[in-house]
This record gives sequence, C-alpha cells and structure tokens, in this order.
Amino acid sequence: MRTISKKLNNEEIEAFGKEVDALREEVMAKVGKEDADHIRSIYKTYRYTEFLGRGLIHFSFEPISFVAGTLLLSISKIINNMELGHNVLHGQYDWMNDPRFNSRTFEWDIVCNAHQWKFYHNYMHHTYTNVLNKDHDYGYNFTRLTEAQKWKPVHLTQPFTNMFLAMNFQWGIGAHGYRVEYLETPKKLRKKKTLKDYKALFFKKIESQILKDYVLFPALALLNFPKVILGNLIANLIRNLWTYAVIFCGHFTENAESFTTDEIVGETKAQWYLRQLKGSSNLDGNNLFYTMTGHLSHQIEHHMFPDMPAKRYREVAPRLKEICAKYGQHYNTGSFLKQFGSVWKRIIAYSFPDHIATKFMGKRKKFLEPTMVISQPSFQVSLSTEEKTVTLT
Amino acid sequence: MKTFPFIYNGPREFIQSLQPKEWADFFLGELNPRFSVTAIKAKVVSVIDETSDAKTLVLKPNWLWKGFQSGQHVPVTVEIGGRRVTRFFSLSSHPKDKYLHITVKRQKGGLVSNFLNQNIKTGDLLELGEASGEFVLTKDVPNELLFLAGGSGITPIHSILKELQAIKYSGKAKLLYFVRSYDDIILKSSLESIAKDANWLTIHYIFSEIPKEGFSSGFLSKEILDQHVSNLKTSSVYVCGPSPMQTKALSLLEGLPVKSELFLLPGQNQTNVKKEGTVDVFLTLSHKTIQVKGERSILEELEEQGIYPQSGCRMGICHTCVCKKQTGEVTDLSNGEKSQLGEENIQICVSRAESNLELEL
Ligand code: FES
Repeated sequence: MRTISKKLNNEEIEAFGKEVDALREEVMAKVGKEDADHIRSIYKTYRYTEFLGRGLIHFSFEPISFVAGTLLLSISKIINNMELGHNVLHGQYDWMNDPRFNSRTFEWDIVCNAHQWKFYHNYMHHTYTNVLNKDHDYGYNFTRLTEAQKWKPVHLTQPFTNMFLAMNFQWGIGAHGYRVEYLETPKKLRKKKTLKDYKALFFKKIESQILKDYVLFPALALLNFPKVILGNLIANLIRNLWTYAVIFCGHFTENAESFTTDEIVGETKAQWYLRQLKGSSNLDGNNLFYTMTGHLSHQIEHHMFPDMPAKRYREVAPRLKEICAKYGQHYNTGSFLKQFGSVWKRIIAYSFPDHIATKFMGKRKKFLEPTMVISQPSFQVSLSTEEKTVTLT
Repeated sequence: MKTFPFIYNGPREFIQSLQPKEWADFFLGELNPRFSVTAIKAKVVSVIDETSDAKTLVLKPNWLWKGFQSGQHVPVTVEIGGRRVTRFFSLSSHPKDKYLHITVKRQKGGLVSNFLNQNIKTGDLLELGEASGEFVLTKDVPNELLFLAGGSGITPIHSILKELQAIKYSGKAKLLYFVRSYDDIILKSSLESIAKDANWLTIHYIFSEIPKEGFSSGFLSKEILDQHVSNLKTSSVYVCGPSPMQTKALSLLEGLPVKSELFLLPGQNQTNVKKEGTVDVFLTLSHKTIQVKGERSILEELEEQGIYPQSGCRMGICHTCVCKKQTGEVTDLSNGEKSQLGEENIQICVSRAESNLELEL
C-alpha cells in the first residue's frame, strides 16, 4: 500500500510509541467523575428523546408533531447506538461499576446482538484494523477498496450495493456478526450447526427489535398504527444512513491505508499504534457533531485508545496530531463532506479494474517531512567536568 | 414449537428486552433520587460523630428494604470519583428502630471508610443491598453470654445488645470491649444506657494503647479473660474484631460455642508472597491479556491495571466477584489451597493466580 507518511525506522517507531503511551497514561489518570457525569447525561438524553419521540409520534394529529417525533426518535437511536452503545460496549465505562454502563450487561437498540458485535468489532476489527482477510470490516466482504483486493466483475455493482447497505446498515451490522464468528471458527469445527447457533442469536435480536418497533408500539396506537410504523421506519432509516456515513469515513477515505497479514507478524505495541493511525481517518466538526458521531469523528484516537472514555478524544486529538507531525506521520482528517466524498470516490474507483481505478484515484502526495529530526543517539556519554555536563551523542 | 410470534424469544424475554425496570428506575429517579424499583437507596438523615475517627450514619431506606436481624451486615455502595464501590458494614441499630444506623470507623488506607467519614453529609444517597450474615442470636437465647469486641467490631454487638434489651433478656451478659483508648470507644453513651437500664449487662473496657486509671489494659489474653469472666466454661461467646484478635480468641475459647465475625482491613488478606516474573491472565469476554504478578488477589491486581470487575466485600463472603475460570490454577487465599486446573467458578477477591489463567470477564 502506498503511504504518504514518512517511513520510520524501528527506533523511531518505538520512540513514537512511547510518546503515545505517555499521552494515554496522562489522560487515563484524569478519568473520573467528569466522565461518569458525561455518560449519565447522555443516558438521560437518550431516554428523554425516545420517550418524547415515541409519545409525539403516537399522539400526533398533524404532520409537524409527527415529523418532530420521528426526528427525536432518530436522535434517540443515534445516541443509543453511538455515544452510548458503541462506547459502553468498548468497556470505556466499565470502571464505573454501574450495570447501566457496563460492557457485559449493555444491550442496544439495533438488530445487532451486542455480544456478537463485541467479538467482531472490539476484538477482530480493533486488533486487526485494516488487515486484509483478517479485519472483516474492511469493505464488509463485498466492497473493493484497494488494489490488493482482486477485481471481479461483480465489483462493478458496488456503488449500488453500498447505497443499499447504507439504507439498511443495521441489518448489515447484525448479519456481519454471526458470519464473522463463523468465519473465525477453525475450519474443522465449522459445521452447519455452529452457523445455526450463531444465527440464532442474531434472529433473537431481530425478533425483539421488529416486535418492538413494528408490532408492539403500532398496536398501542390502535387504528393509527400505520403512522407509528412509518415513524419507526423513518427513524431507523435516518439512523442507518448516519451511522453508515460516519463509520465508512473512519477507515475507507482516500488516504487510509490497508495492510497484509505478513506485515503484522510480530508487531510491537508501537507498530500497532502506527497501523491504527495509518488505517483510520477523522472528521472535523463541533462538539455537537462529535457527540452525535459517538466521537467516531475521532476515529484515530479511538483506534489508539479504544477503552478511553470517548469525550476525552477531544483533548487527546491536538496533542496526538503534534506527535504525528513531529514524526512526519500523516494525520488523516477533514470535514465530513470532504471525507465522505473521498470514501465514495474510492468506492466508485475500485469498482473498476486496477488500470482505471489507479487513474481515477490519481497520484498521491509525496512523503511528509517530519518537523523534527528524530534520530535516536546511537550512544550517549555524559562527562561531568567541574562546571558543566557535556553530552556527546 | 413456541407460539407465534415468539419463535426465538419467550414473551417474558421479549418484555425484558424492552427494559421496563430501567425505564421505571429512570423516571422514578428523575422524580426523587431515592425512588427505584431495583435498588435499595437510602438517604442520610443525619450524621453523628462517635469519636474523632468514627461516625454513625443514620439512613432512611426506600420501600425495597426488607429489614434485618441484629448482628447482620449490609453492602453499602457509594460513588467515589465516578466509580461505584461496595463494602460491607454491620448495622448498629435495632431492627425495630425507625432508621438504620451504620457506624463507620476510618481504616488506614480504607477507601470507603475514609470517604464515608469525610464526605458524607445529611441528604446524601447511599445504595444498600440486602442484609445478610450469621452473626445473630440463636433462637433460644443462651443464659450466659460473653461478647468480645475489638475496635469497630462493636457495631454488630451493639445491635445484638439492643435486641437483648428489647426482648427483656433474663440471663447474664458480659461485654469485653478492646479498644485503643478511652477516647476511641465507639457508641459509648448508647452502650452505657443499655447497661444502666438493665442489670443483666456488665461492660469492661480494655485499652490496648493508652491505659487509663481504673481500667484494664492490654490485648485479649488468658489472664484478661480469667480476670473478668468467671463463668467462661458455660458461656456462649460472640467475637467480632480484627483478625489477630479473632485468631487469639478462637484459640483461647476452644471447645466453647463461639460465633465470630471477621473484620478484615484492606490488604489484610494478602499473604506475603513474593514472586518472580508474571503470569498472563486472559479475559475472555473483553479479549484482553493482562500480566499479573500473582502476589495478591486477582481482583487487586486487575484493579491496579485499571480493570474493575464487580466486587463487594473483597473478603470472600458476598460472591459478587465470582467469575468462571476456564483454565489455570489459583490459590484460595482464605485457606491456602490450590485449585483444580480446569473450569470452575472462583472468587477473584480471595484467589491468587498461580499459573496463566483464562477468566470469563
Ligand atoms: S468481593 Fe465479595 S466474595 Fe469477592
């Protein structure tokens, strides 16, 4: 994969890793009441928006309150999935010891089963970020995003399949779960039965979600049921489009890199950090935008520190950016429109065979130059004379 | 075949997935933080200074509180720096009293005992669990009772004494209260009013650090027992205090009916094990591998690295911290026994890692 970051030698990589570690430690030491208060207020917003949203849809007689209710319900679902669900399931708030915010007990408002999600997301995706054939999130198995994936005629359809996925994103996420679990079982143990077991969890979750949104709440509205079904449908759709957009911006922008399984053999922590950096991309915005993306706007920080309470990424980001600049590493960030545009550029480009794709993608920038020369001294001697210390490097 | 449409979920499971309790708790909590359908929340109605380092918290629990027996303890959960922490405290009041009392003495290095003493004020909320414990009076109350209390170990005994007072006890009871100095006597006025009110109770204070004229001093020993207790052979004994006193008492009283409640101070259950190198603990639910030394309990070693599994008493009594060990070997700190290698449930607060472990956490 081409890179626009400076190639670092091993010593530089380890030095980079040390700085990142120090940053992590410093911020994690501050985690406490402030973070607990934050997630509680998010929880509160999620409960109120859902309550009001459903109430408005239910008792609306004119379009305005129906629209307001549907929007509130979408917001509620977005908050539930992102700032609350995604982050809680990463264990960011496990230290609080509160079952409401515990990754072991949390279940979210989406057809994806939380336990399966934790396996393929927390474990597979976060460990093997952007490693082809290992990170099953990379292209979700049907989107070609790099020359390293072999072109097949079916890829011509990927702009359309992606549009379809965007609208039904929660189903994609849910179905992804049992498939990854199945694919990750050693070949010998893969049986029809195991697949069925994995599927059962997914189906169980589907059932409760469908019953809730499309049977129970509509039934409560009696003859007004079509309105409630419509409201829920739209709310789910809005949530799907939003999460799709945010999540695809996280790893599939133009300059996000991918890796091969060979590259990660014997990887050190510092090398892992570097891969997380190169494989992720951020979105710029304001605080409201950050919260509504569940701080996946800070995908780079999230990938380096997945279990740090997400709001802390705001204070980590500028400092991480500085470290990256110092080492000549590309820090992939941009506005939502720019990043999402470049995701689609890539989806469309790679739907064609390589010679067209590379032309479409254009030439990349040269290596970035580090702002500082970081070369570890090969040896260091300190001579102390009467007045001063002389350091030879 | 389950009935349509509940093919995968039973109706009950489906209703649970709607989180009715969470919704109820949320809205009740918005109305009044003490209200809940799942948690016993108690409001602090007043705080009484007992000594310079002990306070009694007077608590008004919500409707979920089911009561207790004199001598029992209750898990108390407080939030410290955003984190919920649970410790057990004995109830010092009588079950029929209007409010619950817990008396908390600061322990050196004790996170919760210090927090309760320093920060809790009238109007604050604490979360309680259900009362439990075997340190209670037997159905037929014996005629001769001996209570040995050490430091804050007086609290459950105080409650039992109040119970004896309430049932108009007709036997004889003696309390030997081992405490650092005269000023450290906890619940003094209440103890004395029970003794004054009843002729069945005699109290001896014994000071372990700062002697006072007219009182005995020293630690629990055969001499002190002989000096104060004439009917030792026929008494039923209740012992509550720190672990050295406990061990001593059990050896002195061999052969007698003894009930004891152990008060472990933080860090007391750590054995002095020094190890070289580390072992890997793989947490299967969170997919993390942590290196621990295997010198102290798994719980403490995990917490040191920023992982906070559920815990409660931290001394092996409440089973809050139970988790499944899939492979590996641990030592049970309470009796020093080594475990099997295979799958079993362990209490991580009293287990020490002996080999690489896989825990379902
Ligand atoms: S914390 Fe109570 S048994 Fe372990």
